[in-house]
Amino acid sequence: MNRVVLVVGLLIVVPLLIFLAIGFRFDPRTIESPLVGKPAPEFSLVDLDGRPVALDDLLGRPVVINFWATWCQTCIVEHPILLQAARSYEGRAHFVGIVYQDEPEPIRRFVERRGAWGPSLLDPSSRVAIAYGVYGAPETFILDSEGRVVRKVTGMVDWDVLTETLDSLL
Amino acid sequence: MVLAILVASLGPAAGQGVIEERDRVLLGEPAGRPLAGEELRQATEAVTSLMRCPVCQGLSVADSHTPSAIAMKAKAEALLAAGYSSAQVLIYFESSYGEFIRLEPRPEGFNLVVWILPGVALLIGLGLVWMRIRRRPAAPREAEKPEEDLEAYRRRVREEIGR
Amino acid sequence: MTSLVGQGLALVALFLCAFGTPIGFVAGARRSESALKLVRRLALAFAGVMLAANLLMEYALVTHDFSVSYVAQVGSRATPLHIAIVSLWSSLEGSILFWGLVLGLYTAAVAVLQRRGHEDYLGYTLGTLLAIGLFFSFMIAGPANPFRPTPPPVPPDGPGPNPLLQNHLLMIVHPPMLYLGYVGMSVPFAMAVAALLRGQLGPTWLKPLRNWLLVPTSFLTLGIMLGGWWSYEVLGWGGYWAWDPVENASFLPWLTAVAALHSAIVQQRRGTLKAWTVILVMITFLLTILGTFLTRSGVVNSVHSFTQSPIGPLFLVFLGIALVATVALLAWRVESLVSEPSEDSIVAREGAFLLNNLLLVTVMFTVLVGTLFPIVAEAVRGVKVSVGEPFYNRMSVPVFLALLLLMGVGPALPWGRSSRQQLVRALVVPLPAGLVVVALTVLLGARSGYVLLTAFLAGYALWVTTDQSLRPVRVRTGKGESLGRAARESLWRSPRRLGAYVVHFGVIVTFVAIAVSANYQTSHEATLAPGESMPVGQYRLTYDESRVDRRPHLVAQLAEIDIERNGRLVGELEPSINHYPTQREPLGTPAVRTTWSHDLYLTLMNVGTDGSIGLRAIVTPAVVWIWIGVLVRVVGTVLCLLSPARRREAAT
Repeated sequence: MNRVVLVVGLLIVVPLLIFLAIGFRFDPRTIESPLVGKPAPEFSLVDLDGRPVALDDLLGRPVVINFWATWCQTCIVEHPILLQAARSYEGRAHFVGIVYQDEPEPIRRFVERRGAWGPSLLDPSSRVAIAYGVYGAPETFILDSEGRVVRKVTGMVDWDVLTETLDSLL
Repeated sequence: MVLAILVASLGPAAGQGVIEERDRVLLGEPAGRPLAGEELRQATEAVTSLMRCPVCQGLSVADSHTPSAIAMKAKAEALLAAGYSSAQVLIYFESSYGEFIRLEPRPEGFNLVVWILPGVALLIGLGLVWMRIRRRPAAPREAEKPEEDLEAYRRRVREEIGR
Repeated sequence: MTSLVGQGLALVALFLCAFGTPIGFVAGARRSESALKLVRRLALAFAGVMLAANLLMEYALVTHDFSVSYVAQVGSRATPLHIAIVSLWSSLEGSILFWGLVLGLYTAAVAVLQRRGHEDYLGYTLGTLLAIGLFFSFMIAGPANPFRPTPPPVPPDGPGPNPLLQNHLLMIVHPPMLYLGYVGMSVPFAMAVAALLRGQLGPTWLKPLRNWLLVPTSFLTLGIMLGGWWSYEVLGWGGYWAWDPVENASFLPWLTAVAALHSAIVQQRRGTLKAWTVILVMITFLLTILGTFLTRSGVVNSVHSFTQSPIGPLFLVFLGIALVATVALLAWRVESLVSEPSEDSIVAREGAFLLNNLLLVTVMFTVLVGTLFPIVAEAVRGVKVSVGEPFYNRMSVPVFLALLLLMGVGPALPWGRSSRQQLVRALVVPLPAGLVVVALTVLLGARSGYVLLTAFLAGYALWVTTDQSLRPVRVRTGKGESLGRAARESLWRSPRRLGAYVVHFGVIVTFVAIAVSANYQTSHEATLAPGESMPVGQYRLTYDESRVDRRPHLVAQLAEIDIERNGRLVGELEPSINHYPTQREPLGTPAVRTTWSHDLYLTLMNVGTDGSIGLRAIVTPAVVWIWIGVLVRVVGTVLCLLSPARRREAAT
């Protein structure tokens, strides 16, 4: 029995296995946003009808900002959740959609067919998406009434997470 | 803030290549000098090759031509053109995308592990090789030197011919 | 019906392995002839059953039998026949089934080809291979069962395989090559286990080991190259290697396999490094399992994620058992592999081999640390970090250059101790060759320090490689043999020696081509309306028109681009964007014009509604030499596999 080989071998193998086992539990898709706890980047965009919407004008109430696109399957799935939430929090929170790498036309058709839960703002050069560090659609940012990012949801927005966060802000 | 709104409301065409109020708040004064032309192109290429394209599989922003990467390239170019340094550009993107955006872990704190460990392994390996070499039996016998040359030569001939 | 038969076959395979593993070890431990015979038969049966199971799955795929869950998952009536055939390995369950087939074929090949001369080890070797087979048949029979019946109602059609698989013919050959390389590493591993359990490494172990290591290594070389080529031809970013975790996973075992091939040479010549060779071979196999786990479990790569299924954890358990068993076996038995006392000198051939091994293992370790670091950082710091191309280039390029240096210096050095004069002569003579190549490179316009250094080292190594490969011929003609006879005899007597230098030659070509192509890319991007042109390098590209090509399984938008070089029309390229009806994201297919000196590479980025296109053009020098270099390496490997023994027997 060669003690050195055993000890050195186990010193390499055991931590490796432990880290792999821990690594398993991370979701490779969720990346903690550095914006959480910080003021959300300002934006001023226009909606489908050309009306300007600026973040500054929305403050005073919590704001839900959702980056989405018509080519994104998850966005279609989460659409009813957002519709429902926008209805429940009407007058208490703002819901704003920012179009992520999509054209106005498909967006317009989508909204006409499935209903809107808030304005769909056009971000043609992804300027706002970059400022928010969007990795893909959908991503949802929940802001308090002062415009501070409280929470970021990557992927499909969860009803409980959304309502719990909003309730805690109201 | 007013300036930002003004600039943004000019519409999509004005969106790219513009330094906003927020960028100044975030980054402070430009640490480099404004770049232009070929120099700007090269600096943009260099800094975006250090950034991960957010929607790709392990590609850099420089290598990718997805819409996201193109937009990020434009932003990086605008910052460099305004005189911000490459380090500041990286800080800018890191402040919204997180450390994940850097393709090279920042060499500080715990991240030093990934930078230092390979070197440590190489040194340990060199040590082991050295020990092996040193362990050889007594030094060459000076008196037999010529004969040894002959022997080495014979051995080489044997190797080359027959094996 | 198909489901039932398939599941039955998987269970039979499981049974054969469960039965064969202990019998193999008994055959090894008791040196029992009858047990050895039995385990050989079981190995052949395992291969047969795996072959049957794979053919059955192919039948289901080709006949679009959507009652089989795997077919429902990857099949589609619209896919052409050849795509339907290769979708066997397009998704997880199918690729594990295919893994089983390759493992079965290797096991059977060992049982047949090594039945004579390797008896001391064969029982243990087959036992270990069947133990590995046990895990994979368990996966096929249970958690990753591709034959599971589709829950009713059976769909009339399926989504089709991943469009990336359909997009290029290279994807048809790349995965099997990679599997032949990956799975083939089980054989040397099994032989290493056998050597440890037997407690000796004789020549009847070493020669088979070298061959069984050479074969998967060259498949892996080819697989990695085809992967790079595929990524170059399909992904449209103009590069061939991105240090992506998937690529790293295939590179890690390649590095240790190459190190093991070199240390096996030292072992053969000097009787030393026995334990080290065994360790390297074992690490190589473990890295293939680790790589499969990493890339397929979603730990470092989200594309193939199967975190939600039990397959990932089971792979981890298998990896854990293999790792701990290897360490335990090594600790228990390593002292039985006594090397002859070493008489190494650093300025001798064996010193170069030692450094070669050290550097290859260092690269492996660097890539491994880089690939695993994001997991470790997240566990320790709770932050996601990336380790990508800039890190790997910075860390590994100097080591690769040192390896290139060794490739020049090592073969020039004689074995054993040598006099100062000999050393000086050996090392100084090739210097001018290096300088000549540097001068040529400068004349061609290169100024980058790294490229010039590569050129120097390559020239040096090229001289030494050529000199060494011709040396036997020179010695023979010196003894009065005719040149033709000398050349023939040298080749016949030691094809392995020549093969090794041919491999080195290929490596040098690849090195230079990578250095040049990585440093002298020029690119240009523009939006073009029909009739408009843009320049790139010596080319002028004119956008003619775009058209749409509708095929059953895809719709392709193509742009016709006229290519003028130095004012003369040299051809037309048609980069395209392919839309697969069953998939959301379109995929671009670049168009490449390859010449001996450079590639012109066009990617279509978008087609506007007004008919204008976004076009990206890249001119990269020397790309074709990367592939040529790899093919030369494969030719060299085949030479290495030729056996000189028969000829020698006939002579004596």
